[in-house]
Amino acid sequence: MTVKLNNDKCDRCGTCIGVCPTNALLLLTASLVIDSDRCNTCERCVVICPFGALSLADDSSASTNMT
Amino acid sequence: MAALTYDIAVIGAGPAGSMAALHAARLNRRVCLFDRNARVGVPVRCGEGIGFRSFIAHAGNRLEWTKNKISRSVMVSPSGIRVTIGNIDESYILDREKMDGDLVREAAHAGADLFLSTPVTEVRRTGDGSYECRSPDRTFCASIVIVADGVESRIARFLGWNTALSLSDVETCAFCRVTFPLIDQETCVFYVGSTVAPGGYAWIFPRGKGEANVGLGINGTKSSAGRAKECLLKFLDKELPGASVENLHCGGVPVARWVRPLVRDGALLVGDAARQVNNISGAGIHYSLFAGKLAGLTAAQAMGSNGSVDYRLLARYENEWKKTYGKQQDRSYALKEFVMKTDDAFLDRIAASLAKEPPERMNYPRVFTRTFSRHPLLLLKAARLFG
Repeated sequence: MTVKLNNDKCDRCGTCIGVCPTNALLLLTASLVIDSDRCNTCERCVVICPFGALSLADDSSASTNMT
Repeated sequence: MAALTYDIAVIGAGPAGSMAALHAARLNRRVCLFDRNARVGVPVRCGEGIGFRSFIAHAGNRLEWTKNKISRSVMVSPSGIRVTIGNIDESYILDREKMDGDLVREAAHAGADLFLSTPVTEVRRTGDGSYECRSPDRTFCASIVIVADGVESRIARFLGWNTALSLSDVETCAFCRVTFPLIDQETCVFYVGSTVAPGGYAWIFPRGKGEANVGLGINGTKSSAGRAKECLLKFLDKELPGASVENLHCGGVPVARWVRPLVRDGALLVGDAARQVNNISGAGIHYSLFAGKLAGLTAAQAMGSNGSVDYRLLARYENEWKKTYGKQQDRSYALKEFVMKTDDAFLDRIAASLAKEPPERMNYPRVFTRTFSRHPLLLLKAARLFG
């Protein structure tokens, strides 16, 4: 399982980063970056996103960085 | 490229970070101020409400940052009972876009080097005790680092803090600017209840000329992907049908105890990053202005002319915060914990009893004392929380 970002829905507010227990999320100037090596798929970021930009996908072959 | 070297690095140019940079730069320290965005203050992720006394105390007499005067507030219970609080402290709706922009410009004018479009991705302490701040293009060195990266509070985690919020300690919010001619321009309206905003509240804060900030926050434990936005759209449909809606944005408000310690070696946490937020109202601008200025002044004083840092002096920042607002903030957390256990029926009962009071005699302390005097059991529970 990996956390996936829908960039069109993301408002770059950083709330997901505030609840991430493994520091797997990072906002750069243009977009949110997910470090799948650090992510433990706890889903807190998915649940907290006010705009529903994050989801958990059953896709083990997904690329590590979504930008 | 060689690292740029400063006395004090400030990460995040919101009100807390800009105040820190401004006051440290005024004391002639070499200061740099970073922000990820190309422009600060936009989008406004804030309801923009503030009490006048704390605004004047911490921002100074900056009436140009105020937008609209508020003379009363109305609380709407889950079943729609309206309680008017007519005797509120003088309050204003701010123009955060202007305030945040002005503060950054003033910090730069005072001598701080401003680095916009510069996300700081990592900070680490080096062998000589200074801090290395990394951005994608450049590395910066500073003797003291003031961390003001907002709700994310990500940078602190490189410096020994665990600032990750539990879901119960964050309100997930969606908000917008609305134009609707029927909005009473002198009244802030708050809506509570599990349907409107579970574990939080919805707000209508008028900005003048038919414009208002409208938004809501729901507690993280009641959130699911996109729920805050869904609740807001439903709320707009019901309360302000046909209103013109602009600038739909979102954000998170920490409702946690302020982070302890606030100072670790040469690193200071300020503002939302330090969870310096009133847990009942979600208000944090006054705390941020206060803490930012205090952190900036303390850091500047702790910085010796030969580049040495008086680490013991830095601890004054935490002591002063604790004395001035720390206990108040702790009480707001205890109260939040209590409010989270209440239900709609309870809120309706309180509202029904308060609605009988004359609005002009109603103020916030009275709401609390009335609530507790009519509910002695509650008073006992509250006493335990505060003890």
